[in-house]
Amino acid sequence: MTASRSDSWRASRSDSWRASHSDSWRASRGVFAILAAPPMLWLFGFFLAPLALIWGYSFGENVSLTQIAVNGSLGNYARAIKPLYLAIIGESAGLAALTTLVCLIIGFPVAVAIAFAAPRARVWLLLLIMLPFWTNLLIRTYALMAVLRHEGTINTLFGWLGLGPFDLLHNSFAVVFGLVYVHLPFMVLPLYAALDRLDRSLIEASLDLGAGHIATFARIVVPLALPGIVSGIIITFIPALGAYLTPDLLGGTNSLMIANIIERQFKSANDWPFGAALSFLLMYLTFAAITLQALLARRQGGPPV
Amino acid sequence: MNGPLDYLGRWPLRLWLGVVGLFLYAPLAILVIFSFNDSKRTFIWRGFTTRWYTVLFNDTELLMAFGNSLTIALISTLISLVLGTLVALLLWRFRFPGKAGVEGLLALPIVVPEICLGVAFLVFFSAVLPWPTDLAWPLNLGVIIIAHVSFSFSFVALVVRARLASFDRDLAEAARDLGASEAQIFRDIMLPHLRPGLVAGGLLAFTLSLDDFVITFFTSGPDTVTFPVKVYAMVRFSVTPEVNAASTVLIVLTAGLTALALKLQSSETAKKAG
Amino acid sequence: MAGMAAGLTLSGCDSAWPRGANGEEMRVNFYNWDTYIGETTLADFKAATGISVQMSLFGNTDELFARLKAGNPGFDVIVPANEFVTRLRISDMIEPLDHRKIPNLRNILPDFIDVPYDPGRRFSVPYTWLVLGLGYRKSKVDGVPDSWKWVFDSDRYAGRIGLFAESDDIIRVGAKYLGASVRGVTPAMTRRVVDMLIRQKPHIKVFHHDEGQDLLAAGDVDIVVEYNGDIAQVMADDPDIGFVVPREGTLLNSDCLCIPKGAPRPDNAHRFINYLLDARVSAAISRTIRYPTPNGAALALMPDAYRLNPVIFPPAAVMARGEYGDFEGIARAQAVDEAVTEIMAA
Repeated sequence: MTASRSDSWRASRSDSWRASHSDSWRASRGVFAILAAPPMLWLFGFFLAPLALIWGYSFGENVSLTQIAVNGSLGNYARAIKPLYLAIIGESAGLAALTTLVCLIIGFPVAVAIAFAAPRARVWLLLLIMLPFWTNLLIRTYALMAVLRHEGTINTLFGWLGLGPFDLLHNSFAVVFGLVYVHLPFMVLPLYAALDRLDRSLIEASLDLGAGHIATFARIVVPLALPGIVSGIIITFIPALGAYLTPDLLGGTNSLMIANIIERQFKSANDWPFGAALSFLLMYLTFAAITLQALLARRQGGPPV
Repeated sequence: MNGPLDYLGRWPLRLWLGVVGLFLYAPLAILVIFSFNDSKRTFIWRGFTTRWYTVLFNDTELLMAFGNSLTIALISTLISLVLGTLVALLLWRFRFPGKAGVEGLLALPIVVPEICLGVAFLVFFSAVLPWPTDLAWPLNLGVIIIAHVSFSFSFVALVVRARLASFDRDLAEAARDLGASEAQIFRDIMLPHLRPGLVAGGLLAFTLSLDDFVITFFTSGPDTVTFPVKVYAMVRFSVTPEVNAASTVLIVLTAGLTALALKLQSSETAKKAG
Repeated sequence: MAGMAAGLTLSGCDSAWPRGANGEEMRVNFYNWDTYIGETTLADFKAATGISVQMSLFGNTDELFARLKAGNPGFDVIVPANEFVTRLRISDMIEPLDHRKIPNLRNILPDFIDVPYDPGRRFSVPYTWLVLGLGYRKSKVDGVPDSWKWVFDSDRYAGRIGLFAESDDIIRVGAKYLGASVRGVTPAMTRRVVDMLIRQKPHIKVFHHDEGQDLLAAGDVDIVVEYNGDIAQVMADDPDIGFVVPREGTLLNSDCLCIPKGAPRPDNAHRFINYLLDARVSAAISRTIRYPTPNGAALALMPDAYRLNPVIFPPAAVMARGEYGDFEGIARAQAVDEAVTEIMAA
């Protein structure tokens, strides 16, 4: 290897830390075509096309029990932004945010424990976290009901200690409990992935320099793991916002979530155009939130998420 | 391994892990225990029996639904892996006009409410692209498989992209300089690096498909019932311990298979190292 | 492992069905509520005719309608409630029945032959009928709570009440309590019901979806709005549970058998329906599901414990105050749904 070649290698290596270092698609059209064609065809044909149909419905109305006329009517959106529905969206976002926060608080130490465990133990621990996820959601929710109800496990245990039966089911507590139960793996995995990629020497250096564990975590680990934390927050919050089986079964009279309303439009109310409008309204809002967050991140100068 | 970073060795974290473990597994334990309940309703204990397992193994419809679910999950995972990897490589390697748009589009499957997607597929496959209803198995599962791939390959792409981010381009450059073809570079250099991402993505896609209820509900028909759809209808009316028995079997199976896979993989790495 | 293998092989097996003398595959796809059939009915039908019945389950009739709306994915016989018979009929989604193929129709009581939602039973035959009422736990409730007031308009049982979450029913029964009929509920009356239920909401524990009897049996609630058959089923296991039809009157329903348009095996469908109407078969079904039957011949075969059970067959005086509801147009359905959303979001 000549000196000039190793120099140019070293130069290109320092480049790749900053620039995206991607090729232009013109550079190897063949490869580009192979990589792009199948996924794009699938995305457009089997995902966007059906979605566009429903998007069209959101501008339509029921002309009979089974026929929908797409006539550019904005009536459904006008109905969707009535205070009644906006309030429900707001409350759902609140419950979802609470769920995400609880998942973060519970999940972060778990992710730390796994990331710093011995390599063999690590895999088993990850498996243990994922395993409940492989049980059918509905069955898991019924199992939670058995745990939370008046004659359920928790209240029986409290009973042995002489404490009265608590109302743990059919209220917002149960909904958040259930949502956390379902979405915890969604939070732990990205957190673990981010912590795994961390340069341990930085932590050790910080400890050597005299900072305590908590300070090290607050000022070194969290900022470096931030992209992973944000990923985890996003892929926990959004499904939690759209959850409907869990709030349906575990919720009480004050835990109505937007997904339940949307579900009713497609089933008992038989009002597909309105259901479509509500779904898309929810999507527009979610997109706006994600875009906002991305803009803020870029302004802060941090790595793009 | 008892350095300053051995967090797992410290009791606060151990306690935390223990409590979280209890939280995650207590309901499942109850599920398993009540599958042996000698009563038609699941939540009041009336005695021990294994008859629900007999009922389960004689319930051909439930077993068929389970078979359908597995088939759909396997096929859709394979397709999702291919599509997800392709698109991850595409986004990692190339700049092209509309790239930001594609990234946004890929986020859609994660953001769209499932019920909306379910109805979308229902209408699409009956009005726009009618899928013949009398195809032989497994082609009649086609609609469900397509639907599952459509919402899960974004997740696979996400996981694979994360793994790609840690790939050193210079290795590929070096190989190219040494005369390797694109295919060789991919197969011999990138694929081994990507493998953990592929396994993780595959597991994710498999789980998403196996457990999916909402979208499958709208795209399945009487001859293409899947396990979650069947269970949903069964528990709507009243929860019998047969459902608990089915879940217990499922949990044991999945845990067993994964443990087996892990054992094989660790003995493989041990062999390579040794 | 064996189960999985069995599952996989079985899934591959339904592509080769033998055809019967009528040219149709020897099977029927039956779309029904879970456990809404006798324990051996399907097996007995197969033994008698060689036709296999595959029963798919739906959670409620709205799901049935939503599934069929875009086209029939292969169902031969469905079980909609009376109002949905109307909806399906006016949307041209069910086939007219050939009464010559259903001679057992003569077993049905005369009251059920000429009904407003299907005059002359051209499109449906009745399977069961249902009475909405209050299930309650005797030890936790004063006497017999025979008024809707205890769930709609009183804090006596605050925190222990379960209400049905199905849109139309809750508004209509609320109207019945306030003295109106369940049919033709005016917007003004709807408003009154909504306000009443919003006032009542803090006392309600849960809005259930037809698993009210489970909640009652588990002790989550002490008084619940439910159908008589569901409560009759849990009463068999738990003598502390009672059922009463409130004195203001109630909503009646009837689940019917229909053949959806595009059914692949209409002739077998007719044979199956005829089989379900047979006296002994119908009696066996009633013994299992404990819902009242409209089948006079079957009724004659049932034991007194069933026929004289006031939960399953409420006394005539009570029945006189019961009314059937009906589908009243899309606009009305939309208005009612928004009313219910308002209640649930309040």
